[in-house]
Amino acid sequence: MMLRQAAKNALGLTSRQSTPWSVGIFRSYHENVIDHYDNPRNVGSFDKNDPSIGTGLVGAPACGDVMKLQIKVDEKTGQIVDARFKTFGCGSAIASSSVATEWVKGKAMEEVLTIKNTEIAKHLSLPPVKLHCSMLAEDAIKAAVKDYKEKRVKTNGAAAVAAAGETAQA
Amino acid sequence: MNRTKKLVASISTFLTRRTSHPSSSSTLRFNPLATFATNPQTNLTRESLQPPPSPAKPLTILPFSGRAFCSESCDKRSSSVCWNCGFSSEKAAFLFCHSCRSIQPVDDSVDYFQIFGLEKKYELDGGSLEGKYKDWQKKLHPDLVHNKSQKERDYAAEQSAKVTEACRTLTKRLSRAMYLMKLNGKNVNEEETVTDPTLLMEMMELREAIAEADDSKELNQIQSQVQEKLKQWSDSFADAFESERFDEAVNCIRRMTYYEKACEEIVKKL
Repeated sequence: MMLRQAAKNALGLTSRQSTPWSVGIFRSYHENVIDHYDNPRNVGSFDKNDPSIGTGLVGAPACGDVMKLQIKVDEKTGQIVDARFKTFGCGSAIASSSVATEWVKGKAMEEVLTIKNTEIAKHLSLPPVKLHCSMLAEDAIKAAVKDYKEKRVKTNGAAAVAAAGETAQA
Repeated sequence: MNRTKKLVASISTFLTRRTSHPSSSSTLRFNPLATFATNPQTNLTRESLQPPPSPAKPLTILPFSGRAFCSESCDKRSSSVCWNCGFSSEKAAFLFCHSCRSIQPVDDSVDYFQIFGLEKKYELDGGSLEGKYKDWQKKLHPDLVHNKSQKERDYAAEQSAKVTEACRTLTKRLSRAMYLMKLNGKNVNEEETVTDPTLLMEMMELREAIAEADDSKELNQIQSQVQEKLKQWSDSFADAFESERFDEAVNCIRRMTYYEKACEEIVKKL
C-alpha cells in the first residue's frame, strides 16, 4: 500500500523531467517510456471529419487523463496507413499511446483489435500502479476503429439511399 | 506475621517483575496493594500482572500486542475492550480508553468524521477542522508521549498518522466527496474508461488551452474559469448526494477530478 502511494507520488511529480528519479524512490521509468516521452512519435491530429479517419477519445476517471488516438484507413484495403495521438496525462499514458500508434500502422483493422494492454505494459515495463494507462491505450485503439466503422456505415448508408433514390427516379 | 511477610514478598516480586515487562508499566495508575489485599494468595507466576478492576470480570490479559487482543474480543457491534484495564465499551473508543486513559490501537471502524466530531455530510466548516486537528496532535504527537510505554508510543504514532490522513481527506472537497461515497458503499475510483464524448472533448480543449497559454495572465484567467466550474459541480454533488442520486453524484465527482487535474497543470505552469 505504501509502495503504491510512493510510486504514485513519484510518478505524478515527474511530468516534465525525462531523467529518472534519484535516490529514495523505488521505481524509475523504463528506458522505453523515457524514449517515447523524449522522442514522441506520431503526435498530432487528423481532420476529424475526413471519412478515412477514425477518432478514439477516451479518459481515465481515476487520474483525469485524456487520450485521443486517430487512425487513417485505406478504404480499399482496410489497412491502417497512419496514426496520430494526443494525450494529456502521465509519462506512462503518453508512452502507451505513442506505442499504440506505432503498432497499429500497417496493420488491418481486425488485427489491431487484438492488441492487448498487457503487451503494451510489458513493452514499457509498466509498474502495477500504471497498468490502467496501457488499458486506456487499448481502449483508445478500439474506440478509433469503432468510430471509423460507424462513419463508414453512415456514408455507405447515405450512398445507398442516394443510389436507391436515383434508381427510383430512373 | 507470616501473611504480611508473604504480602511484602509478593509485592516486591510484583515490582521487579513489572519493571522487566514494559507492557505492564502503565499499571502505575492503579494501586497494586488494593488488589493484593483482596487476593493475598494470588499466584504471581502469571506473565503479565493486570488484575481486573472489578472482580465480576476476570480477564486473562495476554502479553502480546493489544491489537491481537482487541481483534479477538471485538465483535461486530464495534465494541472495544481496552488492552490495559479490560474496560469494555459499546462505542468504539477512539484513541483513549475511557477508563484508564491509555492509548488504544487504531480502530478501523472509526471513520474520519467521527474523529473530528463532525456530521457525515459534504458541507464542512474548515476552521473547526483545523482547530480539532491541532487538538488531537497535541495529545498524540510522538514528542509528547515519550514517557509512556513503547506499545503506547507505537499506538500513538499510528493514531497520529490516521488523524493526519483524516484531516487531509476531509479538507479537500474532492477527496471528501469520494470518502463520503465510499462510506455509503459506492466506490468511485474505478478503472473503467470514460467514453463520454462531450466531457472528453471539453477536457481535451481545456488541456490544450492550458498547454498553449503563454503568459500568467491567460493562465490565471483559465484558472478562475475552472475554479468556477469546480464550485458549480461541487454544489451539484452536494445536491445529488443529499437526494441520494448516486449515479449523478459519481458523474459530478468525475468532472471534479478532471477540473482538479487541470488546476494542477495550471499551477505547475505558473
